[in-house]
Amino acid sequence: MSAGRSAPGWWVVLGQELRDVWLGGRGPALTFAFSLILSAVAYLVATNTALNFLEQREAVGLIVQVSVAMGGILVVIAAADAISGERDRGTLEALLLAPVPRRQIAAGKLAAALSLWPAAFLVALPYVWFLGRGVGVVGDAVVVGLLVGTLLALELGALGLVVSLFAGSNRVSLALSLFVLLALFAPTQLSAGAQQGWAGDLMLRANPLTAGVHYVGRVLVDGHSLGSEADLLVAPAVAAIVLATVALLASGRMHLRPGGAR
Amino acid sequence: MRRGLAALAVAALALTWAGAANASVSVTVDRIGVATGLGKRFAFRSTVVNSGPGEARGLVAHLNVASLRPGVYVDPEDWSTSRTRYLDPIPAGGTATVRWSLQAVNAGSFAVYVAVLPADAAGRPPTVGRTVRVTVAERRTLDAGGILPLALGVPAVLGLAAGGLALRRRRFVSAA
Repeated sequence: MSAGRSAPGWWVVLGQELRDVWLGGRGPALTFAFSLILSAVAYLVATNTALNFLEQREAVGLIVQVSVAMGGILVVIAAADAISGERDRGTLEALLLAPVPRRQIAAGKLAAALSLWPAAFLVALPYVWFLGRGVGVVGDAVVVGLLVGTLLALELGALGLVVSLFAGSNRVSLALSLFVLLALFAPTQLSAGAQQGWAGDLMLRANPLTAGVHYVGRVLVDGHSLGSEADLLVAPAVAAIVLATVALLASGRMHLRPGGAR
Repeated sequence: MRRGLAALAVAALALTWAGAANASVSVTVDRIGVATGLGKRFAFRSTVVNSGPGEARGLVAHLNVASLRPGVYVDPEDWSTSRTRYLDPIPAGGTATVRWSLQAVNAGSFAVYVAVLPADAAGRPPTVGRTVRVTVAERRTLDAGGILPLALGVPAVLGLAAGGLALRRRRFVSAA
């Protein structure tokens, strides 16, 4: 791989990685699996003929939450493979020999992993439109989904990249990234009672995933305005900025072996 | 007997005082009827008038919704996210206006009303404004049958695209 005269290194890496993700088949396969899940969820909620107005709004909220969560999983799967996958396939050495700074390699790989999120969001749009057009929440659902999904995709992609930089093998990287993702999602399953009080509220707002998912619910299900619950977006935004910065800084220490031995 | 009469007199006095406590405050609304459709938003204003000689402090205005027909479940929280307002002190002869935003989430006939009560309201009746009658027309918001083409169509298109790509790649690899 060689960087063109004018194109920055990360751009060249991004082009190569996008071809790998989308023409190599991984992106289309993951997007297809994502559409199957969305179809199953949408079919189950839409065929409930007793669905009243509020439940229909909840259905839109559910589709957006599933899209955001699954989009995050797709990105984390791709990012967790970014460096450790190259190590396992024995191609990292060639990549490190390319005349591209390591941070730019990481930036290109992160951007390519993030490309799965807009694709997933595009797939989700028909379902959101179908369920939300009658209750007038399509516009809000698109804005909220795009906002929360982009923040979560960025932070999860960066998380996967950091894990991939230091993991001993690709299997460990994928397992650890998905474990962290599930641990962050776990509080969303707590009962409403457990989320009351200052401790519950703090946990809800400090965890970027629960905060993002709750923001979706507050706007789409409870009918709050986009701005009135904006404080719930603080944790996802901070996590996205911090983790992306950490990922780019840590990628300067990218080595052939995870421990740092060359 | 004398003690009983005294207690009765005290109770009567207390009740009279309680009734008079809010007598200087009244509530009006800017409309008494709303006709709308399911899912539509609407709003009305209520005005709290302090016609008493002194400042009215610590008043709480509360919005409520009730179905006028049996068999319709109503959760007022679904109709309005902000149903309780804590009013600033109202000077003698002054007014305070509150705008209430609602969304009709059930079809049918409903009564919406505003009650104003003092913060130290133990035992005192609230002051209630006139009822706003809300008629919500039924509206079909979801065609359940339409989901099937979508639920099958999107994965089919993506599956064909992914399969076609995989086939092309396989041919390219075997040709190479």
